[in-house]
Parts: sequence; C-alpha cells; structure tokens
Amino acid sequence: MADEEDETGFDEELDDGSGGVDVGHGKRKRLFSKELRCMMYGFGDDQNPYTESVDILEDLVIEFITEMTHKAMSIGRQGRVQVEDIVFLIRKDPRKFARVKDLLTMNEELKRARKAFDEANYGS
Amino acid sequence: MADPARIKPEAKPERTASANEEHPKSGGTEDVPATAKPTDDNKESSSQDESKQEVKSEMAAGEDEDEGTSGETSAKRLKVEPEKKKEKRQKVDEDEIQKMQVLVSSFSEEQLNRYEMYRRAAFPKAAIKRLIQSITGSSVSQNVVIAMSGISKVFAGEIVEEALDVCEKWGDTPPLQPKHMREAVRRLKSRDQIPNTKYKQILFN
Repeated sequence: MADEEDETGFDEELDDGSGGVDVGHGKRKRLFSKELRCMMYGFGDDQNPYTESVDILEDLVIEFITEMTHKAMSIGRQGRVQVEDIVFLIRKDPRKFARVKDLLTMNEELKRARKAFDEANYGS
Repeated sequence: MADPARIKPEAKPERTASANEEHPKSGGTEDVPATAKPTDDNKESSSQDESKQEVKSEMAAGEDEDEGTSGETSAKRLKVEPEKKKEKRQKVDEDEIQKMQVLVSSFSEEQLNRYEMYRRAAFPKAAIKRLIQSITGSSVSQNVVIAMSGISKVFAGEIVEEALDVCEKWGDTPPLQPKHMREAVRRLKSRDQIPNTKYKQILFN
C-alpha cells in the first residue's frame, strides 16, 4: 500500500490503475491497456513495458482524442465530427495526414471489393 | 479523335514538370523527349497550362475515375494522364512493396515478432467510438472512428519513439520509464506536435 501512495504522490495522475478505490480525475478504468502494451513493443519498447508508462501513454492518447474531437466540433459543421474536419486538422502533420489518406483509401477499396464479391455471389 | 502518337510528347513535358517532385525515380525515360522537343512546348504551353489545371483538379477530386466522357482531345488527354500517373504510382508502390519483402525476409525472429506487433496492434474501434460519442453527444460515422484510431496510433508511436531517443540519450535502457515519457511529451510540446487548447497564450496585451 505504501508503494501505491508514493506513486500517487509522485505521478500527476491520481489513480493507481489497479481498480479499487480511486482518487482524482482518472476515475475511468483503463481502456487500452492490452493494446497499448502490444503497441509499445511494436514501436521499440521492451516486450513487457512498465505499467506506469502504459498508463501515461493511455492518458496522453485519450487527451489527444479529446482535443481533436473538440477541435473538430468547432470547425466545419458545428457540434458534429466529420472526416473532413479531422483531415483538415491534421493537414500540417505529414505522417498523420498520409496515414489517414491511406486508411480511408484502403477502406473504400475493401468496401468495393466486398460489394463486388457479394454481387457475384448473388448473381450466381 | 486524337492521334495517340501525338499525345505522348504533349503529355510528358507537363507531367515531368508537375510530377517530378512526386516521382523522381520514374522520370528517367521521360526526360529525354521533353528536352528534345522544346519548340513544340512553347506553342502549346498556354493550352497545356489550362489542361494541366483541369487535370490537377480532376485528379484531386476523383483519382480513381478513369472513364473519359467524350472523344475530344482534351478529354482524351485527361483520360490518358490520370492513367499514366496511376501507372507510375503503381510502379513506385510495387518497388516499395518489393523492397519491403526483401527487408522482411531478412528479419531475425525477434525482429519479426516486433514487426508483427507493430502492424497488428490497434485500438479497439468500439472503445474509440464510445469515447468520441461521449464527447460529442451525437453519433459519429465509421470513417471518423477509422481515421481517429489511425491517427492515435501514429501519435502513440511518435511519443514512444521520442521517449526511446530520450532514454538512449540519458544512457538508460528500455523498458521506458515515466520520466522518459514525460520528457518526450515536453519535447513534442515544444515542437507543437501535441495539441493543447487549455491555456491560451496572450502575446500582446
């Protein structure tokens, strides 16, 4: 228990991530713990990253998504989040912009392929 | 009907000019006719500029629409141009795919594991959708979820890479510790790669 208290005082996040009684604004349970571990390993970290690092990264990702959502709601059509708003917000960052373009193009191709496949099945 | 033999020299010079930045590799064969026929270009440069604008806007609007509408010269040129650019782009993609295959085939087992994790790890779409909908209060389309989870993965990657740089610079070893993560965030913030709308800085008061 003493370790958790030290950790709580040391880190800025007030929740200890292990369930139980949480204090402070991080009341959410951890949404992406498993996926983030795999992701950190894929990006170069150790095969077993520290739980505190994973927690920090999850908080950062959630904050990023929150910021982007708020910004997207304030531009274009107010109160709604649309793909064009996200693409507009991302336009200055070459990596993210290219990634979004790739993802959306691939999604279109997959949808078309699936539709063609279904029609072929339906025809025969 | 346009003469196919005539189309190529017209089309190439404007493409090498506009597309040189994108595909420097594949411009090798097409540079020769461009330098060999400068006189033709001067005559047709004005019409080519117009068609170049049209081509650019058409390609920006719908790059995968190959069907020409009529048999006129400009429309046929529009039809030939996106196809050729698509061929070039496909060739570049194929080169890249081949290089990736050669690279991946020479990975050690640990590298293969890591690469597999890198490609496979993704945020669960349901959780992202729930998160966005809890912020907006209204439903969002599937494309938004796809885009947002893709960007978030790139974002996480940027932080981890920066943290690994910090870790190496401080003489530590992985696994990454919170102090590396925080220093990485501080560095990315100074480069404006982390969005922050909480504190508005008033420059001139």
